[in-house]
Amino acid sequence: METFNLHRRSLIRGAALGAAGALSPALAGAHLLPLQKGRKTKRVVLVALAGGVRTRETFGTPENIPNMRQMADEGVLYTNVATANLGHFGATMSIFTGISEPRGIRENARGEDPTLFEYLRKGLGMPKEDIWVTTTGGAQQVNYSYSVHPEYGSKYGANILDGEGIFNAEFKQLLDTWGMPKSMGDKEKALLDQLRKGVGGGVDAVREAERLARVEEYILKELTQGTTDITGAAAGDRKALRLARNLLSLFRPKVVGVVLQNADVAHGSYNAYAEVVRQNDAAIGELVSAIREDEELAASTAVIVLPEFGRDRDLNSRRGLDHGDGSPDLRRVTCLAWGPDFKRGVEIDSQQRTTDVVGTVCELFGTTAPLTRGGRLRGLYS
Amino acid sequence: MKIPRMPPDSIQRVVHVDQGAGVQDPETQKPDTQDPSTRARPARALAHGSLRTTFMDLIGRPPFAREYEKWLGLGRDKLLDDLLGGEEFWGHWWSEQLYYFLLVDNFQPVARATKEIPGKLAEGRMDYRTALHRIALTSSFDQRNPGADTFVTVVMEQFCGLVVQKNRRDLESGKRAYDGGKGNFLGTLVNNQSEVIEVCVNHSKASKHYLEREYRRLMHGEPDSKVLANQARRLHRDTWKYLATTRDWLLSEEYSQRLERLEPKSNTLFLKGLFVDLLDRLPTEDELEPMRTALDGLADPRPLRSVVVRLLLDSGRAKIPEKAAITDPTRWVAQKFQRFLGREASPDELRVFVGIFHAEDCRPETILYAFLSHPEYQNY
Repeated sequence: METFNLHRRSLIRGAALGAAGALSPALAGAHLLPLQKGRKTKRVVLVALAGGVRTRETFGTPENIPNMRQMADEGVLYTNVATANLGHFGATMSIFTGISEPRGIRENARGEDPTLFEYLRKGLGMPKEDIWVTTTGGAQQVNYSYSVHPEYGSKYGANILDGEGIFNAEFKQLLDTWGMPKSMGDKEKALLDQLRKGVGGGVDAVREAERLARVEEYILKELTQGTTDITGAAAGDRKALRLARNLLSLFRPKVVGVVLQNADVAHGSYNAYAEVVRQNDAAIGELVSAIREDEELAASTAVIVLPEFGRDRDLNSRRGLDHGDGSPDLRRVTCLAWGPDFKRGVEIDSQQRTTDVVGTVCELFGTTAPLTRGGRLRGLYS
Repeated sequence: MKIPRMPPDSIQRVVHVDQGAGVQDPETQKPDTQDPSTRARPARALAHGSLRTTFMDLIGRPPFAREYEKWLGLGRDKLLDDLLGGEEFWGHWWSEQLYYFLLVDNFQPVARATKEIPGKLAEGRMDYRTALHRIALTSSFDQRNPGADTFVTVVMEQFCGLVVQKNRRDLESGKRAYDGGKGNFLGTLVNNQSEVIEVCVNHSKASKHYLEREYRRLMHGEPDSKVLANQARRLHRDTWKYLATTRDWLLSEEYSQRLERLEPKSNTLFLKGLFVDLLDRLPTEDELEPMRTALDGLADPRPLRSVVVRLLLDSGRAKIPEKAAITDPTRWVAQKFQRFLGREASPDELRVFVGIFHAEDCRPETILYAFLSHPEYQNY
């Protein structure tokens, strides 16, 4: 198993990259292109700390985030990532689309711009089973799975699982009250397939039903494995990260997106928010431990972590933190990239954008995101 | 996604199942005082499909068994007279509004005064605009939208349909007022959070935005902008015109066209429909909420919908006859097509279903599961 040793940190200034850019366009562009041949990355876990998290409480207070700090020492830390306060939904959507567009703050509709998941599925022919997104919950979050773009859309969408929505004590109690569904014998399943074909479904309906049955089985299994018992601070976020960890181990998907939200308790309590940051770090640590402990995953999995925006500079009247003052604490966040193809122990403070993530992940997999407006995270590759 | 319903004339031979008052099998006519061929058929007579769909669009559930008997064959206008403005109509409307504002789960308003609002609407003691105003004044709304920026943005976007990025000055004025300052907000001087809400709720743009989203909700399409603008102006002058406007929509040719196609069911509608179709009752709040929350947690809820179907079928609580008790499988299957899919079975479908029914390993639950987990049942 490949181990990631701690390297002496080197600081690359934006000026150095600028100097590289003063060379011929071919050479200037070359540092942006990853090595296609011999690339080790086969899987990406993209964690969006989408409740609004300031750098002050993460890398500005390392004791809050020992696990992410260790990952930063083994990967690349972008300390100057620009974002826009488009509301949680809009700003998170901009991470997944590479386009920073205003969205209704409570808008509960799919976006018009294709998501990272659609680009990967269409560009590489990835099956749906290869892309999962786990979320903390909330009605809007399923809208991250795919857009309504006419050239992309639902046929290229991701699987989305809401940790808090499904794996909670109330739903488990319902199962206890009504009884777990009985499993069906093979003969009865064969008859069911014939019935499905009979109601105008055809062979495709049967295949689709088989795929759905696998997801159904996973959900039933997860319901009995303790995820529903997670409670307390950041419970929703911890469930989403736990699901991501289990999905990665079970299905080995190519992409797992994780959308967290609990940090938004900051509006009402700074202390509760800081605790969420610590809990999130612990859960991310468990996810990365699971990756490290699996030889195949360890050698092939990259993890990218970033917030959708920060929070206000000053506390509000409730001794919490809102997100609307336009300050650098709000508009600049830190992004962490850890993986077998990335540099190690490097901090980059030249400006990047949260919208650069889509292009970066697409490039990692060897495809493009034709409609995105973001660039790439620069200085990433070793 | 617009899915066309199977047009009746594409089916070579249709089996009519005698339902009692309404649909009659011409070959086994019951004696009647009047020759049915001389009886005028009502305009927009309700068939299984149109009855189910209109019920679900208006009150968020399909008909109970007794309601099929009551309404089949009668005119759509009569159904509207009965349902529009009633308790179930406003109860469903209220749920839909709360969902629109994402006041669900932990953010659902629980105060008694708020819970009484659908009843007051049904009694004609409150108009829709006052009800929406009350939503914005709840502590749930405040908790859902914390902070000046979030709160004022939500109120501007969700009540008036404004894009705040194009109305920055009003946003900043609203935020000042939220924090206790003064500001000129959408053309009115405001001094506090409550006045910000009042301005938005009573704005002419709010009437138009409300009508647009109601049209989309009920008609599943885009309104004609000129017609809607006139209706919005009328509604802005007189908020009690909402029901009359809705009635016009539901008697229009556009709604007749909507009845010819299938639209996807929301998770709430799926669950309520499943309980009514299988148990002939609505789910309790304790049953509905965790199931709906769980289904909302999946981008593609079909696997979990399938789990819920199996849950109900295997629970022993649904009244499913024993296989031996079904003496006429053809009739039983045909009724299921009508009840679950709102249409008649084709001869091929009947042949396949009845053939499989007789297979040794086929239970009645197998047949029901095939229906209830089929893509067609996910739509209405």
